Amino acid sequence: MELSKFSVGNEGREVFWNAENFEGLLFAFTAIAMAIFAYGIYRRWQMWTAIGKPEVRNDQIKERIKLLLKNGLFQIKTFRDIYPGIMHGLIFFGFIGLMFGAAFDATEFHVGEPYGFPFLIGKFYLVFSFLMEVLGLFVLAGVFMALDRRYITKPERLGYKGEPDNTPDDAIVLLLLGGIILTGFVIEALRIHVTNPPWEVWSFVGYTLAKAFAGVDNNTARIIHKVMWWTHTFMALGFIAYIPYSRLVHMITTPANHFMASLKPVGNIEPIRDFETAESFGAGQLEDFTWKQVFDSDACTRCGRCQDGCPAYLSGKALSPKKVVQDLKTYWLERAPLIAAAKKAAGKAAEGAAPEMPAATKAMVGEVIDLHELWACTNCMYCMEHCSSSIEHVPKIVNMRQYKVLTEADFAPELQLTYRNMENNSNPWGVGSHLRADWAKELGVKTLAEDPNVEYLFYVGCSGSFDERGKKVSVAFAKILQTAGVSFGILGTEEGCCGDSAMRGGNEYLSQTLMQTNIEVMNGYGVKKIICTCPHGYNTLKKDYPHFGGNYEVYHHTEIIANLIAAGKISLKKPVDGMFTYHDSCFLGRYNNIYDQPRKILAAVPGMKLAEMDRKLDKSFCCGAGGARMWMEEHDGERINNMRTDQAIDVNATNIAVACPFCLTMLTDGIKAREKEEKMASLDIAEVVWRAMGLEEEKPSADVCAPTE
Amino acid sequence: MNIVACVKQVPDTEAAIKVKPDGSGIEEAGIKWVMNPYDEFGVEEALKLKEKFGGDVTIVSVGPARALETIRTALAMGADKGIHINDPALEGADAYNIAAALAAAIKGIPHDIIFCGQRAIDDDAGQVGSVLAEFLGIPQVTFVTKLDVEGASIKVIRPIEGAQLLIQSSLPCVVTAQKGLNEPRYASLPGIMKAKKKPVDVKDAAGLGVTVAPKAKIAKTLPPPARPPGKIICGEEPAEKARELAKLLREEAKVI
Repeated sequence: MELSKFSVGNEGREVFWNAENFEGLLFAFTAIAMAIFAYGIYRRWQMWTAIGKPEVRNDQIKERIKLLLKNGLFQIKTFRDIYPGIMHGLIFFGFIGLMFGAAFDATEFHVGEPYGFPFLIGKFYLVFSFLMEVLGLFVLAGVFMALDRRYITKPERLGYKGEPDNTPDDAIVLLLLGGIILTGFVIEALRIHVTNPPWEVWSFVGYTLAKAFAGVDNNTARIIHKVMWWTHTFMALGFIAYIPYSRLVHMITTPANHFMASLKPVGNIEPIRDFETAESFGAGQLEDFTWKQVFDSDACTRCGRCQDGCPAYLSGKALSPKKVVQDLKTYWLERAPLIAAAKKAAGKAAEGAAPEMPAATKAMVGEVIDLHELWACTNCMYCMEHCSSSIEHVPKIVNMRQYKVLTEADFAPELQLTYRNMENNSNPWGVGSHLRADWAKELGVKTLAEDPNVEYLFYVGCSGSFDERGKKVSVAFAKILQTAGVSFGILGTEEGCCGDSAMRGGNEYLSQTLMQTNIEVMNGYGVKKIICTCPHGYNTLKKDYPHFGGNYEVYHHTEIIANLIAAGKISLKKPVDGMFTYHDSCFLGRYNNIYDQPRKILAAVPGMKLAEMDRKLDKSFCCGAGGARMWMEEHDGERINNMRTDQAIDVNATNIAVACPFCLTMLTDGIKAREKEEKMASLDIAEVVWRAMGLEEEKPSADVCAPTE
Repeated sequence: MNIVACVKQVPDTEAAIKVKPDGSGIEEAGIKWVMNPYDEFGVEEALKLKEKFGGDVTIVSVGPARALETIRTALAMGADKGIHINDPALEGADAYNIAAALAAAIKGIPHDIIFCGQRAIDDDAGQVGSVLAEFLGIPQVTFVTKLDVEGASIKVIRPIEGAQLLIQSSLPCVVTAQKGLNEPRYASLPGIMKAKKKPVDVKDAAGLGVTVAPKAKIAKTLPPPARPPGKIICGEEPAEKARELAKLLREEAKVI
């Protein structure tokens, strides 16, 4: 037992015990570590700023600080996946707490004690010690969970197609983290073993561990302590120095990415403004992305959340959002130093001389990112919704598609046909545009040309106008509106394709043409409120049309129907049979946060039996038709719509309620593919509601041969 | 290799065709005009040959002002220049006069191969390519589904009932394109933008030294006969329904 100035009632410890004359060395090593760190960040900074077009991501500071606090400090996005969320949270919060602890120690030593106001004493010291033990255990637990996930449990998402994508760096980081904590506990235990104050029972880990050194004499203990203390210190300083050169850089890039997250509406694709003079469109090389799009890839932690719900990946296609980001990162790591050096050289050269940029050695689109990956994306937004680093995958995909479609005109023939159809007849099927309003012929629905003084424009969309199933939805919804006495009209043959599929399929030129044509017509009639039955039209009218002077209040029909039910304008009295499940459309759910209304509507139907699928709400599984995939062949892997249908079959659903005509088509096809059409059906919410209103005798489908009287 | 592709602007295949009440033609209001699909095969083949052998592709079209859009479409695909023969006298003219005008325009420019569609989908006449070859005094190979250049001649495939002919022809030569020859490309956006600035010569009959004198003319355009309503055969047994169907086909429709 050594003499001490501390005692019961005046608990504390000698900070930096047994580390006499350490300051000079410690400061020197710290300075070296900080210098290595600073140099790494400087290099990284040059690489971050080397490539990419300008983009403003430091506006609306208040919003951005909120995002930084929410997802950076409080880890909200990380906690959305609970187990890995806790794993990361234990390490993250544990380490932050311990860093404060270390700072307290340093302050006590360098300020508190020398200036006569020590604060790490008494009860505060005991609580402080206790907390440090708990936080240390947090980090250790987190590290063990991480080691388990990466090397024992190996969840699919920590790899690609069954192959783990572990790197030595992953192990180094975890061992460093664990090592810092373990050595911390050991030096604490040795100190307690030698000094042995009774209150150190509060430092319960060190106190317990001290017992393991029971037979060690004090001098040996002091020597071991010194060695361990320096080991601990080197590991901690090494950790700091290692940050910019390892996956630890995410400690900087990921919070930065949260801060710089897009504040635009979900799914926003920045319109191309210059078609006339540009030579190339979309992103064919890294340089065609914005700097933020490039930066994104450095914020990726390879956690694989994106991959976990990616319909393309899960159905066996080449695409994994994680792989796309990582491949772009690898390419960036290759290109950025060269470009940064070229810029630097140009800076030194005579002013006005254009910097000579190193030529790209490979095609980004086609070589770095395989075309099968590029075209497999359904734009379902799962990856972006769940990315705990706020990476924006989908706009990158669309930008690369723009390059293939607009600049190279090299893309799937069936999609070329779709675009020609949109060009010639303003619908993807190429049905004569004069037939657009035929579905409404017998309903007495007026066009705005006939009566522009209506409250709502019902923008029917291509599916609702031309697709046989879609037309039935339009009829059901028009009848609901008529019954409820809602004032509405349609554009009839003046309506055109909304442009969503063209835009998401990379044909920005066509989509803008389509949008502008519609906007001219709608603005001509002074349209203010619009209802869409198709979430694709809904999303694009709401979010993309304002780019081109089309500013409307846009509603989805589920919002309108939910309101009509709530206001008592329609009553659902006829019970429906069967077991229902509701399939969330991506463009309604993740894009527009409409999850409640469809479910409220279904709940209002008498006799409704509703089973939820496992993948629901923001984790809903895409039907496979978004992002222009509706119009493309699905050659690789399992068909996404069949997989979704299986998920409905798994909950014994006999009816899949949908709120999107693309989903309707895909799931109807899925039901056929699974040979369940006798037992199962897919229905739009409007059809369910119209049935439940019980105002129309349902005609059996075979009535053409019914006996006539 | 210098190539000429003749194109015609026609109503989109899905357009609603309405015959004018006086039978003088069809109502043009609301019609979406496109490049005749068979001509598009010709343009695509011309571009492929250009990519392989170099040279120029010239687009020639007879039509009113709106036909310029179709010429621009072909230029957007990659053709180099256009000749737009715009003369009211040629509107609705017969194949003989159209071919004469085309021949006059083409004589003035170098041409190793001239592509035409095997027919235009509006009047389905299928004569212009052949008459054009006669005016130019050069060979013609029609309904071509495959084309290979071998030195100063071409080898083409022409499908016929139950077989296909491999035909060799000297150059210059008129080739009429049939479906299957290729898949026409989608124009790139830089292509579309550049097409706006590519040269298009506008000529009329007088400028080409052609006198328009129809040998045949469309006397009247009539709507197709109204289709009688369909009939659904009802019955319990498939055999019974088949019997009824056979009976109706024989006695009512008189087709078997």
